[in-house]
Amino acid sequence: MKDKKHYHAIHITQDKCIGCVRCMTACPTKAIRVKDGKARIIDERCIDCGECLRFCPYDAVHSHTTSFAALDAFAYKVAIPSTVIYGQFGSATLPNEILSALRRVGFDEVYDPSAICELNTAAVEEYLHEHPQPRPFITSTCPVVVRLIQRRYPGLCAQILPIEPPREVAAKILRTILPKALNLPPEKIGIIHLTPCPAKMVSINSPATLKKSYLDGAISIRDIYPEVLNALRKSQDDALMRHLFPETLFSGIGMGWSLSGGEIRGFKSQRAVAVSGVADTMRVLDQVEAGLFQDIDLLECTVCPDGCVGGPLQVENRFLAKSRILQLVDAAGDRAVVDHKDVSRLYHKNFLSFDHPVTPAEALPLDADPARAIAKAQRREKLFKKLPRKDCGICGAPDCWTLADDVVRGAARLADCPFVRKEKR
Amino acid sequence: MAASAVFRREFPVKGGDFSKAGTVACRIKDLLKELGLDTQTVRRAAIASYEAEMNVIMYAWEGRMKLAVSPGKVRIVVDDRGPGIPDVNLAMTEGYSTATPEMRELGFGAGMGLPNIKKNSDGFQIESEVGRGTRLEIIINTNGHKP
Repeated sequence: MKDKKHYHAIHITQDKCIGCVRCMTACPTKAIRVKDGKARIIDERCIDCGECLRFCPYDAVHSHTTSFAALDAFAYKVAIPSTVIYGQFGSATLPNEILSALRRVGFDEVYDPSAICELNTAAVEEYLHEHPQPRPFITSTCPVVVRLIQRRYPGLCAQILPIEPPREVAAKILRTILPKALNLPPEKIGIIHLTPCPAKMVSINSPATLKKSYLDGAISIRDIYPEVLNALRKSQDDALMRHLFPETLFSGIGMGWSLSGGEIRGFKSQRAVAVSGVADTMRVLDQVEAGLFQDIDLLECTVCPDGCVGGPLQVENRFLAKSRILQLVDAAGDRAVVDHKDVSRLYHKNFLSFDHPVTPAEALPLDADPARAIAKAQRREKLFKKLPRKDCGICGAPDCWTLADDVVRGAARLADCPFVRKEKR
Repeated sequence: MAASAVFRREFPVKGGDFSKAGTVACRIKDLLKELGLDTQTVRRAAIASYEAEMNVIMYAWEGRMKLAVSPGKVRIVVDDRGPGIPDVNLAMTEGYSTATPEMRELGFGAGMGLPNIKKNSDGFQIESEVGRGTRLEIIINTNGHKP
């Protein structure tokens, strides 16, 4: 086995994997093979989208997120939750109650992300205004989309909008201000993202656009859910307090960011389109690569269905969560809480920009030598014709075409196909 | 080896089948990536083949797209059975289009198709016979721009 070159958050627990083909056939980048009765992930192809995690009935796919115990390393713990968390606890629970419950669970401070989301929307609008070309720009909020583009659509790297997503901007602001305010060394302050997304951990541990992430880790909403629920149950008085004395003014523009279309909702003068779900995202990126969408300023892409609210590491039924968040968006209306002068100042100081552009990931051609690549492609066509086209997955590849591809790349044998074997006998 | 080092694939395109729009161009693009061609070449081929495929879908009854890749060169020949183009020079003018209002409503027919194909290729030939069909030959050199 080769050494792993890329950090991944998605792993297969070998003991639990029974070697069925569900994750393999669900994988949008054909990154899984089942060999010797166990599913294996091909490092270079995986984009950490979490589709396998959704499809595995045996709980054998897990994602590596920060454990609650790991927070003990920090003297001061800060949480920046995704707005998805507001949709997790029913329609009677106010955002403020949830933030307050998170404090009781063990965070010293918890920051609502909706204002930062609004700030991001305003900065993006300013960027688009100043950069009439190229079109369309593609949002970078979804780390899977960034990785998908690096691997499958390298030609679109320059179209990724070079503004950091709200989670990083929020962490950067806090990292700048808190050490002075608290008189603590920066390394003693832990800034943690609470997320429904396995790929956030990848964007923290090996960021595509920053030298180093401003976040110290990501806890999955699934992991922290029981603790928060427990804290909410124990605090009838607090709930009354929060209902009667709401402290935080939520941004109406930022509140819906975790829903597909949320990032572009606040735009006034730009033409923007939102796409969600991994298959639809790939379809649209294919079209962008063919030169379409040039009359669109911004393409919001999120690979989870309905946006981050459909993330595999959230708990609540996605439709209920979405409905709850829409209620909150309605309640907040178009309320803006961010001063545009602040946005402009931070934007022009390049405080919100990428450290470096997104670069294409190493491509996986059939062969580095063009003539040999052509010969392999010819051979692959011939091999494919011998296969039954049942896409059964028994050979260990997700479909017949991929088996032919694996064979010419030297990663499988034609005899791995049970139909070919039977014929030979 | 060098003589046989041409990869060929043929794809049928059905006129009027808007639901499949772009699938052939997408297959061609994926193949070129797998053959290890550079990003710029793949992008130009993707744009040219998409436009060519759309022309068949929009105007012709049926067509075939033939891809031939050799080290250094991508050749795409598009043959269609269809109404043909009465004035090829006019059709090559940017902004000239015979698209119906329905097509325009779908975002097609801006009159950029053929000029866009030419812009993204290093060699471009078009022959058309009214009542019979149109043949396009698109050549893209894989190392660098116009020879």
